[in-house]
Amino acid sequence: MTSLGSSSSSSMEYIVRVPKNTNKRYNIMAFNAGDKVNCSTWAQARMERDMSNRRMYGEEEVVEGAAGSEFGKKQREEARRKKFGIVTREFRVEDQPWILKVNGKAGRRFKGQKKGGVTENASYYIFTQCPDGAFEAFPVSAWYNFTPLAKHRTLTAEEAEEEWGRRNKVVNHFSIMLQRRLREQERGDDDEEEGEKAGKKKKKKGDKGGDLRIHDLEDDLEMSSDDSDSSVGEDGESKPKAKKEAAKKGKGGKKKKKKKGSDSEAMEDSDDGDFEGLEVDYMSDDSSSDEDEPEKVKPNKGEDVPKGIDEASESEEESEEEKQNEEEGKDEEDEEGKKTPVQQEKKKRRDSSEESESSEDSDIEGRADSALFMKKRTPPKRGGGRGSGGSSRTGSRPGTPSIDTASTSSTLRAAATKLEQGKRQTAPPSSDTPPAKRLKMASNPQSPAEKSVQQAASGKSTPSSSDVQLTEEAVRRYLIRKPMTTKDLLKKFQTKRTGLSSEQTVNVLAQILKRLNPERKNINDKMHFYLTE
Amino acid sequence: MSEKGEVDLTGAKQNTGVWLVKVPKYLSQQWAKASGRGEVGKLRIVKNQGKAEVSFTLNEELTAIDCVGEKASSVRAPRDHPFTMQTVGGQTLAVFTENPSGQSEDRSDGSAPDKLVLEGVVVQRAECRPAVSENYMQLKRLQIEESSKPVRLSQQLEKPVTTNYKPVSNHTYNVEYEKKKKEEGKRARGDKQQVLDMLFSAFEKHQYYNIKDLVDITKQPVTFLKEILHDIGIYNVKGTHKNTWELRPEYRHYQGEEKSD
Repeated sequence: MTSLGSSSSSSMEYIVRVPKNTNKRYNIMAFNAGDKVNCSTWAQARMERDMSNRRMYGEEEVVEGAAGSEFGKKQREEARRKKFGIVTREFRVEDQPWILKVNGKAGRRFKGQKKGGVTENASYYIFTQCPDGAFEAFPVSAWYNFTPLAKHRTLTAEEAEEEWGRRNKVVNHFSIMLQRRLREQERGDDDEEEGEKAGKKKKKKGDKGGDLRIHDLEDDLEMSSDDSDSSVGEDGESKPKAKKEAAKKGKGGKKKKKKKGSDSEAMEDSDDGDFEGLEVDYMSDDSSSDEDEPEKVKPNKGEDVPKGIDEASESEEESEEEKQNEEEGKDEEDEEGKKTPVQQEKKKRRDSSEESESSEDSDIEGRADSALFMKKRTPPKRGGGRGSGGSSRTGSRPGTPSIDTASTSSTLRAAATKLEQGKRQTAPPSSDTPPAKRLKMASNPQSPAEKSVQQAASGKSTPSSSDVQLTEEAVRRYLIRKPMTTKDLLKKFQTKRTGLSSEQTVNVLAQILKRLNPERKNINDKMHFYLTE
Repeated sequence: MSEKGEVDLTGAKQNTGVWLVKVPKYLSQQWAKASGRGEVGKLRIVKNQGKAEVSFTLNEELTAIDCVGEKASSVRAPRDHPFTMQTVGGQTLAVFTENPSGQSEDRSDGSAPDKLVLEGVVVQRAECRPAVSENYMQLKRLQIEESSKPVRLSQQLEKPVTTNYKPVSNHTYNVEYEKKKKEEGKRARGDKQQVLDMLFSAFEKHQYYNIKDLVDITKQPVTFLKEILHDIGIYNVKGTHKNTWELRPEYRHYQGEEKSD
């Protein structure tokens, strides 16, 4: 090493060596600037090759010999591939990506993919300075670009496509992942102890599938409550209250989801087919258990101290219901769970229908139901009850369009409590409690006024096809002839024939029904109205 | 001894700084020819009022280029190579080495656990450029000529190729095949019990067999074999397109299937 001194410049000379005998292969680990990676902060790191592609190249070895195998299968397969000219690239270990785990389980993870073409036209060398001042140059054999791996759950490609298609409709984006997680759970385990999942947000999510189906307000309501939970508990998973509610909701949610499937003929169609395989353990009997549940729930609801946000209270109500579930014990839990889920599903159904801007018949019918009940007991504060659900759903996103429901939520809740009281006062025959329950549900998931009217309208209509005008006389005729649900009624007065919009139909029908004050009967688990004159 | 996958982080902790230098191909080829301790040249760093100029000078003995063809050693590699210094930018570039430990290579999963060492972080990037000179131009011309030669060459032949195919009355392969067939003769029906034993042992190995394969294994005429197979086995279309024979359920006792009989 020689040095020349000079006043303004100094030059140093170093010998450059290229060691020949080293076995070490030098590689570059490149991180993106935005990832802010500082290697000196790493306490501990593990890196291994990512062998997940191996099965693509070395074909999966099916069971060798004995059951299921054919004689000469391998040769046949090979001959077949040669015939078609299928050439599989061999699996080279040194080309596989690296998986780098920094700082153990809780730290970051990176995937390092080999960058091709690095050594083709120019060579990279690493110059390090040795203690004796000389430089040593080592050739770089491979360059790996390391990208951080997301630790949070992401959507798969199919799910992402679905969501993309709904991007204009879905307002609450937080619910998307929640739904997905819950769906996974639903699919994954039927036997798993619900309590295990309770603490996790996923469980809370109840029916995430709902978001992806064209459907119900109820689903949305449930989700929104869930979301409000999550929004209340900031990151949604840490707050104990959220967990508790999650636990309850999870159980209820799970049941709700199942129950929803069983009720699907009464409610919106389930497009996904998610519910096909669901166990519907409470299909058979609802009525008695239904009675008890709503009553217990409603008093609780009345007593709830609002959390200060509508959603919060909404979710509390639901969690109260969940509490009910737990208190009853496991045996009854199913039944009650059924009730609650029914309620909540209906709520959700309504919520979701509120959220999805399309108004479909079932939406209309559902709302007609609730609107009807609402009308019967309280002045139609349809927006209110709905609003609580709606606001809960949208609470986490204050800028969302359904803000108008928030204003009515208090009134709707008031309506709901009045409903409960009213219900409590009247000795509820079994046929009444389902209506009461539905009233509650109606009040809760009530969407803005117009929608509730639709729901009311849909509930009961007697089938008489010839009637085109939506008049009290017509409805009366129908109801005298035969008991009908709101849904049936709505079907009778189709928008094309009456010339009214669906909202108007619902509104008008609700009013008519209020005036008529028909008798109620629970047939096949559905609320039917009828008149006897 | 670190466990598999563990990365040695000493270099990172010490924040060892290294340079990443891009070097032209011909230069790296010359470096590969270095002898002895591997000295290839000298690096001169001149600090000129704050700016650093780095240049590399190739050792004299390494300037001889081996080139293919006639122009042996008429072209010499340039000696001076100024470095163009660049910043790393926001990117973090680390250097890690894989050291295949001396275990045997015939493990099925490839190399034995390598020792991974994080050597350091790149603090400076540089490009080694040759100083433009007549030498360099000639070298470049040579390279271009070599690379522009087509890989495949068309050549005209004067006489047609006669070595490959000659007409024969009967190909050797055919002759052998016919001889083999004659030796074997027609398949004779063996003892039924023996055939059954053969079949059972065959079905122990695989569940599904093609009739041709069974004929091959048992060396029995096809009709006889089919009779036997009708007794003990079933012929199934199976869904996958080959039609195969398998043992009847009562004769089977595969692992993983229910035991019966």
